[in-house]
Amino acid sequence: MKKIKNYLSGKFDQHEIYSSQSNSRSISFESNALKEISSKQSQGTAIRGIKKSDLTFASTSSTNTDKFINVIDELSDYPIFAPINFPKYIKKEKQVKLYSKDTYKFPNDYLINQIKLSQDKILKLFPEALCDSGFSLIESESKLENSSDLEIITKQSYSSFYISVQVINNKDMLNIYDGSSSSLIISEDKINMITEKIIKYLKLGEKIVESPKNGCPVVFTPSGLLQSIISPLLVSFNGSNIAKNLSKLSNKENTKILDEKISIYDNPLLDYSPASKNYDDEGVSSEKFHLIKDGKFISGYYDLKSSKEAKKETTGSAGRSINSQPMPTTSNIIMQKGKDKLDNIIKSIDDGILIDSLLGAGQGNELSGDFSANISLGYRIKNGELIGRIKNTMLSGNAFDALSKINHISLETENIFGTINLPYLCTNNVEISS
Amino acid sequence: MKKDIKNIISDSLKINGGEYKEIRIEENNSTRITYRGSSRENISINSGIGGCARVYSNGGWGFSSFNDIYQSKNKMTEAISLSKLNSSDSINFEKNSVGKISIPPRSIKNPKNISLDEKINILEHYKDLIINKKNINGCDISYGDLERKVIFSDSLGNEIEQSFIHVILRISANSTDGNEMLQSGFSIGSLGNFNIIENLDKEVNECVLKAQNLINAKKIEGKESTVILDQILAGVFVHEAFGHLSEADNVYENDRLRKILKLGTKFGNKDLNITDGAKIPNLRGSYDFDDEGTPSTKTPLIRDGELVGRLHSKETASKMNEKNTGNARAISYSYPPIVRMTNTIIENSNNNIKDIMKDTKDGLYVKNWYGGMTQHEMFTFSSAETYKIENGEIKETLRPVKLSGNLFNTLKNIDGIADDLLINQGGGCGKGGQMPLPVSNGSPHIRINNCLVSSG
Repeated sequence: MKKIKNYLSGKFDQHEIYSSQSNSRSISFESNALKEISSKQSQGTAIRGIKKSDLTFASTSSTNTDKFINVIDELSDYPIFAPINFPKYIKKEKQVKLYSKDTYKFPNDYLINQIKLSQDKILKLFPEALCDSGFSLIESESKLENSSDLEIITKQSYSSFYISVQVINNKDMLNIYDGSSSSLIISEDKINMITEKIIKYLKLGEKIVESPKNGCPVVFTPSGLLQSIISPLLVSFNGSNIAKNLSKLSNKENTKILDEKISIYDNPLLDYSPASKNYDDEGVSSEKFHLIKDGKFISGYYDLKSSKEAKKETTGSAGRSINSQPMPTTSNIIMQKGKDKLDNIIKSIDDGILIDSLLGAGQGNELSGDFSANISLGYRIKNGELIGRIKNTMLSGNAFDALSKINHISLETENIFGTINLPYLCTNNVEISS
Repeated sequence: MKKDIKNIISDSLKINGGEYKEIRIEENNSTRITYRGSSRENISINSGIGGCARVYSNGGWGFSSFNDIYQSKNKMTEAISLSKLNSSDSINFEKNSVGKISIPPRSIKNPKNISLDEKINILEHYKDLIINKKNINGCDISYGDLERKVIFSDSLGNEIEQSFIHVILRISANSTDGNEMLQSGFSIGSLGNFNIIENLDKEVNECVLKAQNLINAKKIEGKESTVILDQILAGVFVHEAFGHLSEADNVYENDRLRKILKLGTKFGNKDLNITDGAKIPNLRGSYDFDDEGTPSTKTPLIRDGELVGRLHSKETASKMNEKNTGNARAISYSYPPIVRMTNTIIENSNNNIKDIMKDTKDGLYVKNWYGGMTQHEMFTFSSAETYKIENGEIKETLRPVKLSGNLFNTLKNIDGIADDLLINQGGGCGKGGQMPLPVSNGSPHIRINNCLVSSG
């Protein structure tokens, strides 16, 4: 590493070295049986060098230093324009917790047993069901250092659990998936909650009913809301898209863009959430900030380069993997909860749909906020009650339109995969076709 | 180095334990150049080396991957002990071995021999063709080339060296009316032939025009419609609508699905014939041996509308008592091989596209792709271009659409297959976290009745 550092100091005005190593273990069950136990070890190094405003990036997972230096040399003849300054270290009084030494210590037997307990509960009620499930643990350490004397070492632990259940009746295949992640071990309580939720939806899904007509109110579960509306919405908040005029939100700060019931913020400072961070992957201190407040656009999420291009301040949102340059990345996305109880929202609907899961979302014109997908898990609401599952029905619309007028936002919120917290939301501004 | 690696491999395989053992060591070198908006966003060269050990015992697998290849023996020991935690009944794999074999990379114009200067000049030129045009607010260009050298060896005596060179390019133009953002693009790829990147001015100019035309195009309302798919989108359709369910790992431990997907079951009309095969030469999904050392094949999946075959790995073939088709593939050493498609094709029939078009009173002509997904019997795929068909003629441009269907109905609703097969190599497939795996898809034009379509 010293050789690379010396080379970079001589070659560039500024430089940065990012290295990381990780160990992971995972258990996979297929069709109710243990199928694979795996372990992975990986490491890598990435560098960025800047001369004047010309940036060079290179990465490697090999330890051959001379070869790496040759590659950097070759790439430095073809730089990218990036008038940025690598930051100095800013000491933080309060550090968010990202690591527990206990997480990676949980033995394979324990993980296997947790999966079996969850699976057995489902199979007791649905003996024909086939469960694919997994439990993974990761321990990683990254080091970021730059020519402004910044040096940050981050140790993180991570665990994730998922279960996907399939029930086939004649030619109908019902599939339900849920899971969670955390820096702490996924607790038995959490696994129970996931299992109970899957059982609830499996029971509800046994009966297939006709889809209602277009124009009906649609309630999105937090997971359905993320897949259909929030994911394309966040594309427009990406600082790189804003900077390049590829977002509807370019130069729209402080204007009302959504229903005033909607506030969404990015909070990197939640203890033991896998998306949390004290500093982003360029070494900038990460803080909580609003994307939308009371329906008004407040800020996109930026890294150093995109903030410079958009003439804004960075929000400390740089994320990276070894093989890619830093880019704007969200941390924990949280939507402000509403006032209505979910039960009351459902009771207030004469004829509508509850959408939990979509197939093919995110494969269209996301830059404009458009979405379109097959409803892979949705239920019909009739006279205030969930009466059965709908099939062969499509949902389409635009994220900005869908959120321009909201009927209800629920008091209850749910965590999706440990990093996104959303309420249930009801709107009429989407199209249903079947 | 090479001798060093071979010693590491043979020493690792000598460790006792496991019913079947394999080791894979890989060296990768890739170049990536991207443009976004009106400037170059990224240029990088990545090099890596790593490996993995995989062991079968007690009806399941132990797998261990690593960057430090000098740890191979320890990692094999680890994989052996992990595999012992399994507790199902084991099955016996076929004991075939080809012994020692080395296959050089197939390349017509190797991107490795093209200077960065030349690559950049070509891409800059395409960028300049796109930007600064009316209503165009930028481009998205993504070029990549990858060289993957793999040495595979197993406890059956196989020792196989293979190299692959992939070239891919996606170009799109972004347009806007000041409010909405729209895009039109295309993707191409090849196995080791840089030539495909050159001389694309016509395609890039068309892409600009199409992006501009989208601004005034209308969105359709969701409904069931007759659709004619061009060869590229029909290729994505066959991959999503049928290909994934022909992968035996979805079926082999699922008794109900096995009954539904019993060989001999009718899925389509008489002229529907679908084939997958890595043995079809010189395509991005082509290879001589899969990542379990099994020789590649060409597998008929549907003949005259009937299911006649499926894609297998060592494990799924043994368990289902069918022939191993050599479809176990891993995207890199970090992952175990799983059953994947290779080059998937709807075979030509004998209709002329002009006749199919003429025979369509009211429908949509859908071309090119954004993406596609499958969840068991349900699938969706999205067009990048859509045109209205009225009384047998192609009329105005519409906004792209998403199409959705169900395996049991949609294949039967294909009522016109043309004779103009084309293969697209610009896509990649994702499964089990392994993405994008090089594949190709091909088809002639096809017509589908009663396809559920909504604005994409």
